[in-house]
Amino acid sequence: MKALILVSVWAWIAVPLGWGVYQSVQKSMPLFTGHIQAAAPSR
Amino acid sequence: MHFLSREATVAPAGFNRWLVPPAAIAVHMCIGEVYGFSVFNVPLTQTGAGWTIPQIGWIYSIALFMLGMSAAVFGTWVERSGPRKTMVASAACFCGGLLISAIGVKLKILWLLYFGYGFTGGIGLGLGYISPVSTLIKWFPDRPGMATGMAIMGFGGGALIGAPLGVKLMEHFKSATSLGVAEAFVAMAGIYAVSMLFGALLVRVPPEGWKPEGWEPKEHVKPMVTNANVAVDVAWKTPQFWCLWLVLCMNVSAGVGILGQASKMCSDMFGVSAAVGGGFAGLLSIFNMGGRFFWSSVSDYTGRKTVYCIYFLLGAILYCTVPWTQSIQNKSLFVIVTAVIITMYGGGFATIPAYLRDMFGTYQVGAIHGRLITAWSVAAILGPSLINYISTAKIAAGVPKAEAYNSTMFLMAGLLMIGLIANLLVRPVDPKYHRPSIPKNGNV
Repeated sequence: MKALILVSVWAWIAVPLGWGVYQSVQKSMPLFTGHIQAAAPSR
Repeated sequence: MHFLSREATVAPAGFNRWLVPPAAIAVHMCIGEVYGFSVFNVPLTQTGAGWTIPQIGWIYSIALFMLGMSAAVFGTWVERSGPRKTMVASAACFCGGLLISAIGVKLKILWLLYFGYGFTGGIGLGLGYISPVSTLIKWFPDRPGMATGMAIMGFGGGALIGAPLGVKLMEHFKSATSLGVAEAFVAMAGIYAVSMLFGALLVRVPPEGWKPEGWEPKEHVKPMVTNANVAVDVAWKTPQFWCLWLVLCMNVSAGVGILGQASKMCSDMFGVSAAVGGGFAGLLSIFNMGGRFFWSSVSDYTGRKTVYCIYFLLGAILYCTVPWTQSIQNKSLFVIVTAVIITMYGGGFATIPAYLRDMFGTYQVGAIHGRLITAWSVAAILGPSLINYISTAKIAAGVPKAEAYNSTMFLMAGLLMIGLIANLLVRPVDPKYHRPSIPKNGNV
């Protein structure tokens, strides 16, 4: 029972944190799949 | 009010201390939403009230300023009242601030947002930031770095949750007559209240004299770790406090300069699209969160002073490397270098409470931490201002955008050198400041 409580309270914070990390990973995907813009003037 | 009192939160015999970190993280991952507040900036300018981005930006600035101020002012009250009462007060202020802001959006009154999210919510941030940290330090005297790292990692994680949650809630509540901002604020107030009250319900303080099974405080083994205690009113008059204030201020100034400009900097330096720049900012947020736990846990083995030397020395080298990655147009190397820099930025935040515990003991460490957080308020203005001012001036002077950040990187390295000197000046606190009447490593 004690172990179940421990797992439950950790899940309470792990689930939203995991969701947040997943959202950020999704957001960062263009960094790995994106293309450099065609020689944009650097000014 | 007994349920909220410190006495009511004293853990019974056999209580598992691993139940406390989720309580601390539950609060921190809510108040960490402040880092994701920028998702509301553009929608708030479209409410028809005529608000501008600079005007909206003040909401965030006031909130961060109040975080530092309330942590400094209420630190002693937090120590006296205990974590449960403080967490409930934090939830009331933070969630109440969101509700006041929702009214402000509906009525199109900007000062209600300043007062709501900025002032009231900011007080909630300060209270919610320091209380769980000082509680965890007392539960984990054997691993204080890891303990504070867990809580402060939650704050970093709060940004990862808050930003997409805000966007999804606005999308959900968007209608022909509303952008969904006010409704999103109300929903977030409800969600965060549940999570923060869960933390308040779960939190416990260890009984007086409690220590982990099989663990004994090491007497005089580590000169930089004290078993004595220093009161907050004495601590802030010691040179150690101000050295650590400078350590935090320089570390945060350098890191926040990059984190706040990440998307634009990546686009300017490598000519990538805004989406790729945004992806870079998202990636840094993950490293910011992970670094808090990783480096803070490492500090338990290396010692706090050593780990800050690593932050400053390695950080300075990496900052100086950034212009080179731009000159050879190596985007992957740039991402790796900045990611490591950001882990150490997060690590600096997470390790400082354990450093304070090493210097001043557990008695009133929350209150001392509260006063030290004023360094964050200063750094939040200093770092971005330096990067903005210098890069803008360089571009105005005709320097290509891609190279405009070079001198700011060297300047950030210089700030880290100042931090390194301050860190090297940290020595054990003179015993004349110790409180002999307080039980060693005891709880108050």
